[in-house]
Amino acid sequence: MTPRFRSFAACAALAAALLALPLAASAQSSSSSERWLHVRVTSTDSHGESVKVNVPLEMAEKILPAINKDRLHGGKVRFNELDCDGVDLKAILNAVRTTKDGEFVTVQSDDADVRVAKQAGYLLIHVTDKSGKHHFHHHSRHSMKDDADKDESGKVEKDEKPAKTESAVNHESRVEVKVPMKVIDALFSAGKDELDLMAALHALSANGDTELVSVKADDNTVRVWLDSKSATD
Amino acid sequence: MILLAKVALGFGTTVAVAGAYTFHQGVIRIDIDEFRSGGSHVHMWVPAAVVPMALHFVPQQHLRHGGREMREAMPIARALFRELKNYPNTTFVEVTDGDQHVRVATEGSRLAIDVTEPGENVHLRIPISTVEDAVAQLERAASSQSIREHKEGKAERDDDADWQ
Repeated sequence: MTPRFRSFAACAALAAALLALPLAASAQSSSSSERWLHVRVTSTDSHGESVKVNVPLEMAEKILPAINKDRLHGGKVRFNELDCDGVDLKAILNAVRTTKDGEFVTVQSDDADVRVAKQAGYLLIHVTDKSGKHHFHHHSRHSMKDDADKDESGKVEKDEKPAKTESAVNHESRVEVKVPMKVIDALFSAGKDELDLMAALHALSANGDTELVSVKADDNTVRVWLDSKSATD
Repeated sequence: MILLAKVALGFGTTVAVAGAYTFHQGVIRIDIDEFRSGGSHVHMWVPAAVVPMALHFVPQQHLRHGGREMREAMPIARALFRELKNYPNTTFVEVTDGDQHVRVATEGSRLAIDVTEPGENVHLRIPISTVEDAVAQLERAASSQSIREHKEGKAERDDDADWQ
């Protein structure tokens, strides 16, 4: 190896190292700051059906503006007052935003419990469906008997009520939605009749690890969450 | 003897360059196995460069058939495949239903689609750059069709105006 070649090789190696350094640094920073939206649907039936979707928010932010279909244009969805039955969503949002943390809606009934609250910068919506009617019709032999009894007598006998209640409690579904207020703010930051999905995604990507949606039913569980991992288990 | 060596060198270089060009975009790998009597077993390794080249030979009217839906989908596909390159070795979608399994992922610079079910397995590996090239060509065909339709529409409007 000639000295000239050796010095050329050393210069080339140094140049390569200098070029690679910022690339490696940027790759490291992008991977650590990357946010992923995960969707997981798991069925508890005999097939064990499951759906896993992993979407990097940055990718979603790049693709969304390319979708121009129906009411979605440039990452914004247009809606009008008719869509909301004349309800001014912006006014409601402003009211929620300026209000202190607390419970806005609490409904407790035999069929369902509903709770809408604002807590620590999050809008929380919890719904517990206690009816479990779909289960009575499709799966449970016991519930079929219940239905048969109901058909014969026209109404459920009083002494059967505890059994049914117990069954319904076993088959209740729970829906929990947790949305950062910043995301809601960003969503409504566009014009009067627009939802800014781009801004919402951007706000979401600035948020920490969050479980956004959780649905737990008899036969299915659904989870939508945000973290910095590219894959789930 | 030297002449023969020169010819061999020229031939060898041509083959090497042609080979390098053919495989510079990588390889499309298609594996299909049907597990039944008379089922087919297809295992293909196709140079990815063939796809954009083949699209050049497809008559333009066939490429334009997609119409409006294709024109709407092309920018989305372009943005999607451009972004996919930034996420090597990532599983985007995975669906499992009993013995059936579908997976859409990236493996390095390739798009990987796997469909596995008891009677049939399909495994597809396509270089993302190849899909990008194909999408670009389809987009060009779609936009030329759009320009043509626009011109025809304008001509019709001009005719109507003249008639009135």
